[in-house]
Amino acid sequence: MIRLANGVALCAVLTFTSLVNAAEPLSQAMDGAIERAEPKFKDLASSRCDDGTFLRRISVDLIGRVPTSSEVRAFLVATQPDKRAQWVDRLLANPDHAWYWAQVLDAWWMERLPGKNTDASAWVTYLRESLAANKGLDALVAEIVAADGVDPAQRARARFLLDRDMEPTLVVRDISRLFLGANLQCAQCHDHPRIDGYKQEHFHGLMAYFNRTYLFDDPKLKKKVLGEKADGDVTFQSVFDPKKVTRKRSPGLPNGPERQDPMLTKEQLYVSAPAKDVRGVPKHSRRALLAGDLVTAGREPMARNLANRIWAQLMGKGMIHPLDQIHGDNMASNPELLEIMTKAMLDGGFKLRPMLRAIVLSDAYQRSSMPRGKEKKAEDRLLMARLRPLNPEQVGYSILAASGYDEAEAKALGAKATPAALQAKREASARPFIKTLAPPAGNPDGFEPRLEQALFMSNHAHIQQFLLPRDGNLAARMLAQKDSGKAAEELYLSVLARLPDESERGDVAASFQSADRSVAVRDLIWALLASAEFRFVS
Amino acid sequence: MGELRGCGSIEHTISRRAAMGVLAAGSAMAFNGNALAAPLTHQNKRVLMVFLAGGVSQLETWDPKPGAPTGGPFRAIPTSVTGTHVSELLPHTAMQMHRLALVRGINTAEDDHGKGSYIMHTGRKQEPSVAYPHLGSLVARMVAEPDNPLPGYLHVQPGGGGGSSAGDAAFLGPRFGSVNISDGKPPVNIDLPNGLTQARDDSRHSMRRKADARFLATRNTAETEAYTQTHDQARQMMAKKALFDVTNEPDRLAGGYGRHDFGRHCLLARRLLEGGAPFVKVTHTNYDTHHENFDFHIERMGEFDRTFATLLEDLHQRGLLSSTLVMVISEFGRTPNINRNYGRDHWSKAWSVALAGQGIVPGAVTGKTNAQGTAVVDRQVNGGHLFATYFKALGLDPTKKHYIDQRPIPMTDPAASPIAEILV
Repeated sequence: MIRLANGVALCAVLTFTSLVNAAEPLSQAMDGAIERAEPKFKDLASSRCDDGTFLRRISVDLIGRVPTSSEVRAFLVATQPDKRAQWVDRLLANPDHAWYWAQVLDAWWMERLPGKNTDASAWVTYLRESLAANKGLDALVAEIVAADGVDPAQRARARFLLDRDMEPTLVVRDISRLFLGANLQCAQCHDHPRIDGYKQEHFHGLMAYFNRTYLFDDPKLKKKVLGEKADGDVTFQSVFDPKKVTRKRSPGLPNGPERQDPMLTKEQLYVSAPAKDVRGVPKHSRRALLAGDLVTAGREPMARNLANRIWAQLMGKGMIHPLDQIHGDNMASNPELLEIMTKAMLDGGFKLRPMLRAIVLSDAYQRSSMPRGKEKKAEDRLLMARLRPLNPEQVGYSILAASGYDEAEAKALGAKATPAALQAKREASARPFIKTLAPPAGNPDGFEPRLEQALFMSNHAHIQQFLLPRDGNLAARMLAQKDSGKAAEELYLSVLARLPDESERGDVAASFQSADRSVAVRDLIWALLASAEFRFVS
Repeated sequence: MGELRGCGSIEHTISRRAAMGVLAAGSAMAFNGNALAAPLTHQNKRVLMVFLAGGVSQLETWDPKPGAPTGGPFRAIPTSVTGTHVSELLPHTAMQMHRLALVRGINTAEDDHGKGSYIMHTGRKQEPSVAYPHLGSLVARMVAEPDNPLPGYLHVQPGGGGGSSAGDAAFLGPRFGSVNISDGKPPVNIDLPNGLTQARDDSRHSMRRKADARFLATRNTAETEAYTQTHDQARQMMAKKALFDVTNEPDRLAGGYGRHDFGRHCLLARRLLEGGAPFVKVTHTNYDTHHENFDFHIERMGEFDRTFATLLEDLHQRGLLSSTLVMVISEFGRTPNINRNYGRDHWSKAWSVALAGQGIVPGAVTGKTNAQGTAVVDRQVNGGHLFATYFKALGLDPTKKHYIDQRPIPMTDPAASPIAEILV
């Protein structure tokens, strides 16, 4: 599907990987591809980011929140040469890692659609448990598209289909966009007018997995589940075809084999035939074929799509952009790099953690966001890091972490401060921020700051509680410092994961002198939480 | 990931109105004694949408059929336009008819509330996999100045909470969605939190700006700029809070608008339009008169008629009407057939809307229904035609396309042309 730049040979990659440091061979292979794409790489690439910046990046990317001041201090004073890799492994082993990435996958795949027919939180739990168990993402997707919602123990995974009301056009559009990286929506009524690779028969091949499936209101479960009929074919005409030739399409992935229905007599069609209050269950389920096809014919497109999306999540932009426009005419910014990652995804059994680890330990991820020269598109060329906004979850949990909410809550709960109790408190406290910052339901996450978000951040009662002193939180820690310089350090380490410079120390000192100290602390914390430096990953 | 977001092409294809003085500090010319009103000039176009929710009866408003079996009990009365008659429930509006144009041949072929409303707000039929933006969002994107402190799409309605409906903007992006002005109250979180003085707010924002200036000195991007701008806009919006206070209006004028919710909301709409809002929608409910259609219309029109007539006159007196596109719409009309509960049901095959102001021929009437009002017999149009007409009236090109990642999306239904005979 992807045209390799001048037929870049994968054997070259293999040669390269065999030469590099055995510790992070994938990171090194990725960096090799980036360097090969830039003849003057050594003169143009920005330097490595400092330790505080690195810790802030990996913390928001791997566990969804900025580091606390004590975490920053510990990292800054650590002297092991491989401390970055050590900290990455520590964060990947943190239970918050699966907890945060379940929310990332939820935002990718559900796009903030409400839990109309299912329990949305049970779905996130299912994603979290799958990630914690190191389930391959291919297996996860296969489970999701095969689910029918009948078995209570496995109902959560049916959210993808049930909360789209099993609307076939929507389901096909989203499976093509989200799992295959190819938005076939424009190929519904005709071959895509501008993209050679997106054919009308591709759309209808996906449609044929679903055209017999329907939303069934189960009277016993009192829940919506999926039923399926044993008949019904997908036919289509191109609106551009003057002869209006009608074509028939059986299930199949784009460029995969077409699945023919077995020859069954009328008596053989059903396990249970659809009727009023009876869910249809055919002997031959077309929809059940999809899970198997995705992990065979769909394996490589899925791997490429996931590699591109994971990269975009951590780097701020996909190698192929937009994310759902993977096709032969939309060249990756670095085709060799994308193929290396796709291959790693395939070879590594679609596991998330090794991919994340390889990316964050690459030089590309660790580069500074300070430009070295005036190179055009330096971020796209991976010569410097992209300044990227935190996503809604990262903002919410980072406000909590930065303001010391987590420590204060742990102290307040005392003996009752179990991980589950704390997590519930955190989720409830972060939710108003996430809700305010999230895009409307049914839309992918994108950065689109709005007036009402600024009004919320400035004036809503919810933010005020994080600014007032409470045993263990940032305001209390700052107020406990007699020396304004120490208070300034605590503030900057907590909110921005760095030490203040001289002029910033001066500002804090001036603020301490001019106002009631608790008022000064409140306003200083707010000003930094509202700053662009906090809102973005630098 | 912004994969469904637009590429900003509208900004390149539509000629924006000249920079206006909305934000020019120190130039706040007093407007009828209201120092908050921004200086307006006639080239500043804006839109007022009056939405009669539930489905207003065309027979009890713009297209009466007195004497027909379907006509109901009310007479038709002459208006300020010779030859044009409207229902006797609109005596005040009848005297404004020389400012209005009527479209009497609407067939939207959609009798569902949600889907009908969608057609009238977006000019499209609903599709499962593409959402189209509201007119208000399009105006917010294409007509409003990017630094206007007022949100581009304001919706004044009786309830609905204080949030926003970012989804109204579809692919244009959430910041062009509607901001709800619930019961005329200003947007939520417009007041400083308890215990924070204006001086402290100024001071914490100056700390924020200082931090931003430091950080962004070497790394300013469009995204960081958009982010810091929302904080500045929020402060400007907070400074404009008094715009939402209709008690500042002369008592006599407020009485003319009416002391009821719809009267207050329309007066607020005028203040907002005068204050620089590019798009204000006012919703009046509820017209879904399956029972007792006639009693309900006496009561609802009793509020609507005088208020709307006063609003038109007030906009005219202030020199705003000629540059404000006004539309009175609904999700559909009501059945000519009177049901056994003296009600009328949903009817989208033959109904009417009224337009006025910017780009509209005053006093024009287009479209005709048959004697019983059951079908359009001349100049049938649908929601797409109305949309193309709004575009033309605002000086926008209805054939322009919006690009979502290189995929062209026509901004109005390409199959529907503007209603030329009511356009200036």
